[in-house]
Amino acid sequence: MNWLRLISEGALVLLLIPIAVLLYYGFGPLRDSQGLSLLVLRSIALTLVSSALALAVNVLLFTPLAYHLARSNDRLSDALVDIPVSVPHPIIGVALLILDSPQTPTGHVLLSLGINFYNTLLGLVIALVIMSGPIYVRAMQPVFESRDESPEYFARGMGAGPLRILYSVVLPDSKSGLVSASLVSMSRAMSEFGSISIIAYYVLQYPFYGVSAASVTIFNLFSGAVPGGLNAAVTASAALILVALPITLGAHLVRRKNHD
Amino acid sequence: MIDALIRKKLGAFSLDAEISGEGFICRAGRYGAGKTTLMRAMAGLATLDDGYVKIDGSDVSSWPAERRGIVMVTPSSSIPHLEVDSHITWGARLGGRAPPNARVSEVKSRLGIDFNGRVGRLSLGMKERVVLATALLSPSRVILVDEAFSNLHERDAFIACYRELAKSAGKEVIFSSQVESDGSLADHLFVIEGGKTRRAA
Repeated sequence: MNWLRLISEGALVLLLIPIAVLLYYGFGPLRDSQGLSLLVLRSIALTLVSSALALAVNVLLFTPLAYHLARSNDRLSDALVDIPVSVPHPIIGVALLILDSPQTPTGHVLLSLGINFYNTLLGLVIALVIMSGPIYVRAMQPVFESRDESPEYFARGMGAGPLRILYSVVLPDSKSGLVSASLVSMSRAMSEFGSISIIAYYVLQYPFYGVSAASVTIFNLFSGAVPGGLNAAVTASAALILVALPITLGAHLVRRKNHD
Repeated sequence: MIDALIRKKLGAFSLDAEISGEGFICRAGRYGAGKTTLMRAMAGLATLDDGYVKIDGSDVSSWPAERRGIVMVTPSSSIPHLEVDSHITWGARLGGRAPPNARVSEVKSRLGIDFNGRVGRLSLGMKERVVLATALLSPSRVILVDEAFSNLHERDAFIACYRELAKSAGKEVIFSSQVESDGSLADHLFVIEGGKTRRAA
């Protein structure tokens, strides 16, 4: 009797029960058309678009950091990466509010340049970058760490600096690792609630005009802020899960393919 | 002209090595004797506890690895996603100067590179030829070959050929070996044992 296997699979099933419950009730007994309304669909679209934008920023902004942490012994930077996700998420939203508030000096400067975080796509994406960036870094670090360093040393010996090596030697050969880390990071962004409920509860500008991210919309349906009720919330949740599932599974499949 | 004194402690192992000379140098030693550590320290890929590295009289000891003009080549140095022809000229193009086609053809034919394709898919011996050719065509002044002659067909002939090409390009080569008899393939031989070197030829 393989007890390890049994206990492992059992724990996994426990973890997946809430998802199964949502999918079953959402499309079954509690199905409510309000949960698949245009409002919900547009929210899911906003979640997808904003998470994809956050992902693009993460890749551009944080890939060098992941590589630096993988190749250097910079323990301080390594410790700092985890800080944004270890504080309650709403306070990150509050921090962004303060940063861009008309009552603070930084806010004065930003607002005078036309940079507004509150209830905008910009604010939404920035919050998502802060919350999913560390996940991206942590996912990319092992991709770089597990590489044989010899080609990097070779390139250095011929005069390439570390950044050049990252782009010309390492990344072209790390594509599946990058895709996998991206999908994990995007999943994280899609599930975010706390920070965005403060800084961008709605997105007021074109083309969204008052749509909220899916997580916020589901909360609204549940709490009655938007007419809907429990059934609608459950159905909307099921719909969101269906959309998010391929992304999470995709990350896993790409990782598996990479190791074979 | 290379002149180096390397002192480094790695756990229980302590390296106290000296090497100086020009041309094609063989450094022989058993596995674990310190050959790789010595090369890494010279290339700037590992720090020295004490000592110096001088190339043609310039002290490069505090220079970063990418500015020393010393390239270290191992059997796994190849950059897998490049095509053979791109790979061979990669080092040279990094320095801003693509080598003339005639030179590239000469190096390719003398080193037995008559194949194509992505370097990552080649056999070990082919990869080694590509990497050695790349180092030869690059702007580096010194090439440190760490076991990268090990998977080659007709090894002695290849090494003799490489020696000529390096000489005509004005490059110094230090290669590591597990057998002292390889000293006959070089201008000078240093033997390294338990972290200490002695000049044997």
